[in-house]
Amino acid sequence: MAEVVIMPKQGQSVESCIMTEFKKNVGDQVAVGDILFSYETDKASFDEEAKVEGTVLAVFFKAGDEVPVLTNVMVIGKPGESFEQFAPGCAAAAEVSASETPATLGMVRGGTGSEADGGVERSETVSEAGASAAAAVEGASAAPVAGAPASPRARRIAAEKGLSIDQIAGSGPYGRIIARDVEAAAAGLHLTGLAKAMMAEGGKAAPAAGSGLGGAVKGSDLKVWQPNHSDIPGEGEEFRVEKLSNMRKLIAKSMYNSLQNSAQLTHMLGADARRIQALRKKAKKALEEGRIDANITINDFVCFAVIKALQKFPNVNSHCLGDAMRLFNTVNLGLAVDTERGLMVPAVKGAENLNIIGLSKMLKKVADDCKKGSINPDLLSSEAASFTVSNLGGYGVEWFTPIINVPQSAILGVGTIVPRPKDLGGGVYAFVPYLGLSLTYDHRAIDGGEATRFLKQVAVEIENLEVEF
Amino acid sequence: MPKSLYIDPNATLRPQEHELKLPTIPVMQYNKTVKQEIKDGNFTPEDLLRIYRDMSYIREFETMLNLVKTTGGYNGVAYNNPGPAHLSAGQEAAAVGMAYCLDTDDFIFGSHRSHGEILAKGLRSIQILPDAELEKVMKEFWGGATLEVAKKAYDGKDTKELGIRFLLYGAMAEIFARVTGFNKGLGGSMHTFFTPFGIYPNNAIVGGSGSIAVGAALYKKVNRKKGIVVANLGDGAMARGPVLEGMTFASMDQFETLWEGDMKGGLPVLFNVMDNQYAMGGQTKGETMGYTFPARLGAGFKDDAMAAERVDGYNPLAVIDAFRRKKAYLEDKKGPALLDVVTYRYSGHSPSDQSSYRTKEEIAAWEAEDCIVAFGKKLIDAGVATQEALDAIRKDVNDNIFACYKLAIDDSLSPRMDLVKDSELLGDMMFSNQSIDSLSDAKPDVLMPLEENPRVKQIAGKSRFYIDAQGNKVSKMKMYNIKDGLFEAIADRFYKDASLVAYGEENREWGGAFAVYRGLTEAIPYHRLFNSPIAEAAIIGTAIGYAMCGGRVIPEIMYCDFLGCCGDEIFNQLPKWQAMSGNILKMPVVVRVSVGSKYGAQHSQDWTSLCTHIPGLKVAFPATPYDAKGLMNAALQGTDPVVFFESQRIYDKGEEFHEGGVPEGYYEIPFGEPDIKREGKDVTFLTIGATLYRAIEAADMLKEKYGLEAEVIDARSLVPFNYEKVIASVKKTGRIIIAGDACARGSYLNDLAANIADLCFDDLDAAPVVLGSRNWITPCHELEEAFFPQPSWFLDAINEKMIPLKDYVPVSNMTCAQKVLRSKKGV
Repeated sequence: MAEVVIMPKQGQSVESCIMTEFKKNVGDQVAVGDILFSYETDKASFDEEAKVEGTVLAVFFKAGDEVPVLTNVMVIGKPGESFEQFAPGCAAAAEVSASETPATLGMVRGGTGSEADGGVERSETVSEAGASAAAAVEGASAAPVAGAPASPRARRIAAEKGLSIDQIAGSGPYGRIIARDVEAAAAGLHLTGLAKAMMAEGGKAAPAAGSGLGGAVKGSDLKVWQPNHSDIPGEGEEFRVEKLSNMRKLIAKSMYNSLQNSAQLTHMLGADARRIQALRKKAKKALEEGRIDANITINDFVCFAVIKALQKFPNVNSHCLGDAMRLFNTVNLGLAVDTERGLMVPAVKGAENLNIIGLSKMLKKVADDCKKGSINPDLLSSEAASFTVSNLGGYGVEWFTPIINVPQSAILGVGTIVPRPKDLGGGVYAFVPYLGLSLTYDHRAIDGGEATRFLKQVAVEIENLEVEF
Repeated sequence: MPKSLYIDPNATLRPQEHELKLPTIPVMQYNKTVKQEIKDGNFTPEDLLRIYRDMSYIREFETMLNLVKTTGGYNGVAYNNPGPAHLSAGQEAAAVGMAYCLDTDDFIFGSHRSHGEILAKGLRSIQILPDAELEKVMKEFWGGATLEVAKKAYDGKDTKELGIRFLLYGAMAEIFARVTGFNKGLGGSMHTFFTPFGIYPNNAIVGGSGSIAVGAALYKKVNRKKGIVVANLGDGAMARGPVLEGMTFASMDQFETLWEGDMKGGLPVLFNVMDNQYAMGGQTKGETMGYTFPARLGAGFKDDAMAAERVDGYNPLAVIDAFRRKKAYLEDKKGPALLDVVTYRYSGHSPSDQSSYRTKEEIAAWEAEDCIVAFGKKLIDAGVATQEALDAIRKDVNDNIFACYKLAIDDSLSPRMDLVKDSELLGDMMFSNQSIDSLSDAKPDVLMPLEENPRVKQIAGKSRFYIDAQGNKVSKMKMYNIKDGLFEAIADRFYKDASLVAYGEENREWGGAFAVYRGLTEAIPYHRLFNSPIAEAAIIGTAIGYAMCGGRVIPEIMYCDFLGCCGDEIFNQLPKWQAMSGNILKMPVVVRVSVGSKYGAQHSQDWTSLCTHIPGLKVAFPATPYDAKGLMNAALQGTDPVVFFESQRIYDKGEEFHEGGVPEGYYEIPFGEPDIKREGKDVTFLTIGATLYRAIEAADMLKEKYGLEAEVIDARSLVPFNYEKVIASVKKTGRIIIAGDACARGSYLNDLAANIADLCFDDLDAAPVVLGSRNWITPCHELEEAFFPQPSWFLDAINEKMIPLKDYVPVSNMTCAQKVLRSKKGV
């Protein structure tokens, strides 16, 4: 009996994954443990290993496809075994899936990522509409075309459903986007009220699935839409064209989205680093003497100080949602991590409950997980953290203007330590090590005074840090 | 072609008389003196002085208008009158002579040059109406608004003198477009009239009254009303086809040979030619006509030559003498009659006319014969009056005209309608929208109880739905069809409304060319249902006159293509009179028009669009028996002119849509309400007339082959038209095809499409598509499928303009490029 390989579900909020590479193709022999294919979410990449041995009989997708989770991807079995029934969207596949994994029925039939609860009903609507229209329809052109004509009705429905007409492929005469195209696009999309309103304003793109209940696309899920360039002429001696990786595209979109959708500015302040340098020396010694089992870094001390400061400034430890604030009772500290594949920001949940050793260990673990690609995607969501720290001190950067990981209200950029003159009193000046602190905050959420007071508080915490180890 | 009239070959081929003897026509035979007339007891001195006074009123009235037009004022009081003024100075004796013998019950119809006739008839009616009656007329008119202002020109107690101010002021206010005018200022100089004085509409179309007046005479005859009808026409109008058609209609033998009982005998209509020598600048005698005298025309129409006479229109007594004889002739049921009243107009066609076509000497010579001066001289000679007395009359007349003039140009006393502020005011006057069972109190003349009628019995055996109780399709012979629906509605009205008459070509024994009236011959006497001459202008023109006087009428145009033959009547007369009269007149005319097919380029055209274009017409085009009966009932219950289109393609269609079939009893379908014949969700088809069935066929194909459901809406009536159902449908479907058999270019289909695009813009998934006929001649029947919209065209349109259909091979070329190309070629 042939075995089906499905797209695994990585974390609660993940509805679909991008297929990055097939390591095995139709006809290949596979052994248990062989890597079959690689895929990624918007936050991390993964490899899928073979759990059975046999021959690859079918591959239903190609690299670059967005595949809803729990959808059949591959069939492994003996040559000659039938596999057509496993093809996604095939009626037989629905039956098989229904008997084997009832909870996934909606996804398989609908072909779009959504929570199982709402998904069944919606996907049935889609298939029905598809059937009645099928006879009348020439295949819709696959990709949206920039500047394609759209009927007034299509525009109206798009506005009502909060869809951007630019991202819909037209199937009408002369490539016109007609009502059914918008309806089909809408059927695969579930937007919250805020998201609809934001989409109606235009210029935004909604992902196939969002981070809300039942996969609903929320305002914060919306991305600034930029048309895809499929053909860039002129490649030759002067430049070559390299397509962005999916990871890169996601980072690009979310960074751009952040700057487009918030009111960011940065305050910079120096903190006397003598205290934490002394603590670092102490910790190093403790580690060498085996009294502690964590290498507590300067950054760990800074984060520890930030957590203390955040507990005194709930407005900063928050998400700005446009017309409301999400004020956290806990500190979920995000940490910007540079990896080979790009920037990642994992969160350490409930960070205020950790002592300095626990915090140090957790920060190291999430950073390592990111670098290995084994991080839980749920921790990478921009909503997972309530505040983020980004440290470029290791590279000698003194000050910078970090970009907020929206919907968070602020981010702290930590620079390197440089000696600066300081009035020690009594006409005595001395060079003292100073740590550069750059706080970027969303002025929609926080005013300059409060931001300054918070930043000062961070400095005060750093200068007077008390830790036990 | 009644069977009772035998065409005997022997008598026809071998007649006893071998010459057609025409009666001699008297020319200028009156030669009595004033003294002799007094001696004969024909006039009292007062009568003669009143004739002088009435002529003076006309002269000063026209002089006032001429001065206003040419010098911008009158007696030093400035006024600008931008409207028309076709003056009749010089023709006063003809006008006063015409009116002298007429009672209020006698009606006059006029031309663009009829101020003199209005005043003469008005002054005559004021003279003969009892004071109480005159007072009632004036007080009730516009709620007394006109009288209130007129009173300011007279402070005495004499009702008749007040009546004169009322007449002068009402006419002037009308000419100056004032709301206190006889027609609220909507008729103006060329259309003003006042029915309580027996003054019926004048007409800006030369000869327009030539058929309308005949219809008024028909009304008087059929409805047994007192009085005669005078059609005042110019000599120029003698060239107009509708006048000749009106004379033909009025001269029909059947009045003598076929109409029975008290209906036997000729129409009481007098064609009164105001022979002023000119047709605009064309000289009728010697240049543009060949008749020598208009009186000659009488011989062309009737063996009594219409008792035609040419009389001296410069002598009021000569005209009166002739009118006395002609009126008696008409009252003796020997009509029609023709008078050629010789006169001359001093002014040009209009004040802008420089009279470049005649010499000063000619005008001077006629002025030397001036009818008022000459008549005054005769009165002095006969000892009836002194010059001083005559001068006193002139002065009194001039003072009264001046007083009324000042009132009529006063903006506060005589305001105009404010159509900008009251933006719907005139729109609300276009139709009367009344619902009246019968326009007559009389018992309808019929020949048998309706239930005994053979057609009624035949219909009783028919199935009123297209399938029987068992679901089997009913055979054509047993199917209650559109013709039956029309018959039931019309027969019902014939038995309800004694004023209803119907006529047209082949309307009686044949039952109309398509047998809608079959069975009515047995039921309705000749004077209510008869064959007309092949004279469409007269068919419609007489119907207009008939309706103006208060009767209901169904004229029939056998083929839609013949509408052009009555173009003026359909486009200029029928639609205009309700609003142009200030809503004094109603126009309950239901013109049945049959739209052909199979008969080529001049017998297969759908001209609904021409009729929808003209404001003032209601237009219906039912396509099912249920709708045909219901809409015909509504048309006949109303008071507005309706052009009722019927399609020859579907006369035999049974009722396929209305559940339960066509009701046996009376019901109305309100005008303006389109009907959803089939519900659907993917595309809307809005059809006009017989195209409905091709749309249904297309909807079937669409459903069967492509799984798309069309909603089919039958417009049923085109004017008025309620878009609400169509909007709701388009909101649902997002797509609409508007189809009809009219040539697409300039058609009402495009009007509907443009309005739907406007009203439903944000709901449309594609621009509305118009499917009309090609902009060609209609080819012969065998080639018609390339010309008229076909079921396949609907699918072509959907595929090309709305939703590409899978594996579809179009039949017709509906691409934009082709559209541009055809338009470039003008086809």
